Amino acid sequence: MGYAFASGVSIDLLTVDEMNNKWNRRKFLQKTSAAAFAAMASGLPTSMLSSCTAPTIPAKADTVILLWMAGGMAHTDTFDPKKYTPFEKGMQANSVLSTFKSLPTALDGIHFSEGLQSIGSVMNEGTLIRSYQAADLGFILHSRHQYNWHTCYEPPQTVAAPHIGSWIAKQLGSKNPVIPAFIDIGQRFTVGEAEELKAFHTAGFLGSEYGPFFIPDPSAGLDSVKPPIGMSYQRFEKRNQLYKDLISNSPLGEFGSDYQKESLQRTMEQAYRLLKSPESKAFDLSLEAKESYDIYNTGKFGLGCLLARRLTEQGARFISVTTEYEPFKGWDTHENGYTRLIEMKKQIDQPIAQLIKDLKQSGHLDRTMIILASEFSRDMMTEGRPEAKVKEQVDQPDIITDIKNYGMHRHFTDGCSMLLFGGGVKKGFVYGKTADERPCKSIEKPIKIAQVHQSIYHALGIPADTHYVIEERPFYTTPDGNGKAELELFA
Amino acid sequence: MTEPSIITSFWLWQFLGRLHPLIVHFPISLLVVALILEIYSWKQKDKTIQSGLYLILLIGTFAAIISCVFGLLLKDQDEYTSSTLTTHQWSGISTAVLAICTIYLFRLSRTRDHLVKVYRVFLVFSVVGVGVAGHMGASLTHGADYLTEVLPWGRDNPIPVNPNFDLVSFTSDATDQPMKESQIAALNMEVRSIFAHNCYKCHSEEKTKGQLRLDNKDLVMRGGKHGEIFEPGHPEKSEMMRRLLLSREDKESMPPKGKTLSEKEIAILELWIKLGAPWPAGSTEKSIYRVAALASRKPAVPGNDSELTNPVDRFVNAYFSEKKISWPAVVDDRVFIRRVYLDIIGLLPSPEKIASFIADTNPARRELLVKELLNRNDDYAQHWLSFWSDALRNDYSGTGYITGGRFAITDWLYESLKTNKPYDQFVKELISPDKKSEGFIRGIQWRGTVNASQRVEMQAAQNISQVFLGLNLKCASCHDSFISNLKLSDAYAFANIFSDTTLEINRCDKPTGKMAGTKVIFSELGTVDSTLTVPEKLKQLADFLTAPKNGRLYRTVVNRMWAQLMGRGIVEPVDIMDNEPWSQDLLDWLASDFVEHNGDLKRLIFTITTSKTYQLQSVGIKDENDIFKANYLFKGMHRRRLSAEQFADAVSTIIAPVYPDTVSQFNPFKNVKLVERQNYARASLVKNDVFLTALGRPNRENVSTSRSSQASLLQALELTNGNTFNNVLHAGANKWREKYPNNEQIVNELYKKCLGRSPREAELKNALRVLGTSPDTESIQDLMWAMLLLPEFQLIY
Repeated sequence: MGYAFASGVSIDLLTVDEMNNKWNRRKFLQKTSAAAFAAMASGLPTSMLSSCTAPTIPAKADTVILLWMAGGMAHTDTFDPKKYTPFEKGMQANSVLSTFKSLPTALDGIHFSEGLQSIGSVMNEGTLIRSYQAADLGFILHSRHQYNWHTCYEPPQTVAAPHIGSWIAKQLGSKNPVIPAFIDIGQRFTVGEAEELKAFHTAGFLGSEYGPFFIPDPSAGLDSVKPPIGMSYQRFEKRNQLYKDLISNSPLGEFGSDYQKESLQRTMEQAYRLLKSPESKAFDLSLEAKESYDIYNTGKFGLGCLLARRLTEQGARFISVTTEYEPFKGWDTHENGYTRLIEMKKQIDQPIAQLIKDLKQSGHLDRTMIILASEFSRDMMTEGRPEAKVKEQVDQPDIITDIKNYGMHRHFTDGCSMLLFGGGVKKGFVYGKTADERPCKSIEKPIKIAQVHQSIYHALGIPADTHYVIEERPFYTTPDGNGKAELELFA
Repeated sequence: MTEPSIITSFWLWQFLGRLHPLIVHFPISLLVVALILEIYSWKQKDKTIQSGLYLILLIGTFAAIISCVFGLLLKDQDEYTSSTLTTHQWSGISTAVLAICTIYLFRLSRTRDHLVKVYRVFLVFSVVGVGVAGHMGASLTHGADYLTEVLPWGRDNPIPVNPNFDLVSFTSDATDQPMKESQIAALNMEVRSIFAHNCYKCHSEEKTKGQLRLDNKDLVMRGGKHGEIFEPGHPEKSEMMRRLLLSREDKESMPPKGKTLSEKEIAILELWIKLGAPWPAGSTEKSIYRVAALASRKPAVPGNDSELTNPVDRFVNAYFSEKKISWPAVVDDRVFIRRVYLDIIGLLPSPEKIASFIADTNPARRELLVKELLNRNDDYAQHWLSFWSDALRNDYSGTGYITGGRFAITDWLYESLKTNKPYDQFVKELISPDKKSEGFIRGIQWRGTVNASQRVEMQAAQNISQVFLGLNLKCASCHDSFISNLKLSDAYAFANIFSDTTLEINRCDKPTGKMAGTKVIFSELGTVDSTLTVPEKLKQLADFLTAPKNGRLYRTVVNRMWAQLMGRGIVEPVDIMDNEPWSQDLLDWLASDFVEHNGDLKRLIFTITTSKTYQLQSVGIKDENDIFKANYLFKGMHRRRLSAEQFADAVSTIIAPVYPDTVSQFNPFKNVKLVERQNYARASLVKNDVFLTALGRPNRENVSTSRSSQASLLQALELTNGNTFNNVLHAGANKWREKYPNNEQIVNELYKKCLGRSPREAELKNALRVLGTSPDTESIQDLMWAMLLLPEFQLIY
């Protein structure tokens, strides 16, 4: 057997725990038979089964929806408001903590910034984390922090680190075999720091099989799962039949099996089935009832939430919906923090609340983990964190005379808010706390990205030491396999 | 390790020695308390506690002296050695001496005021002494990392037990055949890694409980105080196994604290003992891993077979004879021309070219064809540009370009390929570059903080090692490698060559305080003068690495070329050149022949593609990972898949341009517009996009030396309904409808252009049925689509 591992994609299919025989036998049989059916339905080669079976922890969730607030969402102007300091010409910058009033939520004693009443009204369904701390990466760059958030590793890495969606797609496979396991909604790759974004929107060394299925525009989502433009379903059928006929007549069949040929045929079959499947209707937002559609229709993000809901109902595994990262746009307020956030909160408030309500009503919420997060927070004064300040990127005058300087503009890494719903998390629970005075850093129960990732994996039943060997190095879901789930988040 | 001296055999001395850990508590607490009281009395100006202070000091000093005595007795019980012990011993003795002086000065200072300060100083030093001695002592008993271990930032990375180690394969193989050398080495490595992870704390150089050390082969075999710890071949009679299997409560159970061994680890040890505790002969800590020979070697070409004139065939013939494989059949002209066209210039042969080649009766037509293709310099360069751009991490877009942290080398690379630059020159210009070729070793400079193992000098060291030397330096960039002999200091010494300041060695991203030396990774190739400037050092390095005596450099590239043409290298993975080749002679001969002929890559391709070996019927593989199995047998070229670029270019030629010349990122024709030479841009000249990514073109953030040809659902979706492909097909179908008046012609042309043959009877009937009575764009389009997705089109067979 030796040490001959691939420098390309090398798959080690067993985790340490599986080899230690800590399986629960009944669960194993249940899961393997279920997985076997799913695999046969999707036509997965059985050699892939061993990585999909028997997580050693019972799963509380089957689906993950990541609601990504790209660009750095200020916590004091959203889910962790402090003293309200309204705009006054000539005011001290240092005195500004929150630029919005705060309003009560469904949780006793917890307030959200004005503009998030809908989410506030469903906060009793989930957990509010107020003490997330982003990594220290020196000069604050969105792309590097986003890379770190999504892969749990700090760039650059010697190997291409996989996105959390890819890890999940690899470990658990699709839930419904016809729906791609990892779907990424809302980000275009033609704007801004596209190259840097591509660096982590990838399955990395796990192989492109587990990469994201992109839907940059949710209203055009159907196009991705329809026959090509201008092709009727009839013609699509005919074409597929022609293909099958040609293959069966092909002389190459005489040569025996090849994994290239086999995987090509299998995946073409899968693609065909997806495009024909009733589930593909989930991608068609125009089929949604108007009243419902209107609630979600606050913009691209809102419709992305709608698409995520529809896909979850059909059996998706991992969906990421982003407000989209484009430098200086969206949450990335280098100026106009106050005025822009009015807009951003409008975009997210109703759709997210509705997403939770709808999933609760359809009974999916308990088995769906929803996370709302951002790569870091913002502050008027501090760039980085108090103990690790970094080079300032925004000219923030000490005295504010123009409303464009009123808002949270600097990149603050020490106190960020995160929301969790479903997937077995506690309902109506608050984890962690930030200071009420500047610097509004985490003062109780700080939590970091490895714990966040492991908590997600924990909910899904993926063991904490999951890893594969790439270039002879065991590569874990979180660096060195040291991450631990924060069990306090779970009921 | 000292031999026990006579004195310790008396039970009283042993007992007193063991009281040392008890007695030391007295000087530790009392001297510290004395200092506290002294400070108190000084601050409060309270002299009433002086008498109490004196008593405390006295007892503390006395106890310090006794501690030293007992400590010396304990030392001779032979459990502890090493520098930590020595420091502990001398700091303990110094403490006792200082304490004595302190007492003395205390008494003197009651009457002589000017001595009070001196007394206080001595008291402080005594306390410092007891602190140092105490810390050292605890390091001995609890391990140097006892405190830091639990700190969140203080984790030291233990050597992990290889979780992939497949025990099952050993137990089943062991009964059938004698174990291969590599298997023995692997098992032994597992055992040693278990020792390191679980036992070194108490059984190594620092601390040697029971006089047993497990960090050295001889000492493991020798055993400890009670003799040998195992009996080779008999785990059931082995003390070590007995102790490992005891219950945790039993005081003889091992390990006594911390993690118990897992079932698997115990099973590995048991198996190892059962097999006779093999520890590869002659191996010290160093040579457990297979290390390929560095020197060039030219084996004699075997056999006298007049039929096989190409030395490659002679070597393969020797291999086939040894493995009892009979020569498979050679492919016909039609298959051959398709193969070489795709392999040499990345394009499909036109039907006319195929026809004339088949009709050619010249017995040397295959060699002539290969020569002709090799002489199509631009086509050749545009094909191989992809392979080398993957390996040299070169692209038109990517992270770092915009911020000036990364530099492309396309211009230089294309020129080098087009002019068939000799390989040593090629490598020299990358390692000791000018502005055009410096992009490779400059790596990607990231803004902000970056892990120490990824600074650009380390990137250069890693990338050069991987691409040119088939050596994985990445593990050793953070710590001593667990999978090879490379040490962290080796990686840093190599990286230091690329640095203008001396690098500080960081272990797991933490500075160690040690500075890097300067050393070529294979130091026998030469010594780089560390006092030179970086460009001068690079020039030296370039000369050393490309010297003919560096057989490894040439074997690595020869192996890569073989893998490109044959689907599997002579060594796999191609980045681990220390692995065993399936034919050492073939590899060595190809490499030395390559050097002898000036590092001529085209000539190498000629040698391989004109061999009978290359022309054999292709071999299919069931599972992508089969080529890495230890029992791999070479039987001919493996069926491969068209790369993303080959697919796009084929479609561009047959159907319609996938990429118009306007999106080309690079114009290879200096004084002429691209569009005047060809009406489309070959995919190697355009930026990566969704289409090419889906088909396997890598994101060149990291070096990529091989591509997977496994299909994926995302790829299938892109091909099934992606806009890029769909639009091209539509445009092509329109063109064809206008060009060819009747359906039968369309089908024939399509088959010939796509598959290089005429359709069979059944195929023609089928296709005509789909096309209907008169040519219609949609049905032509659909037929094209189906043809292009056929394995017969997609594969290089």
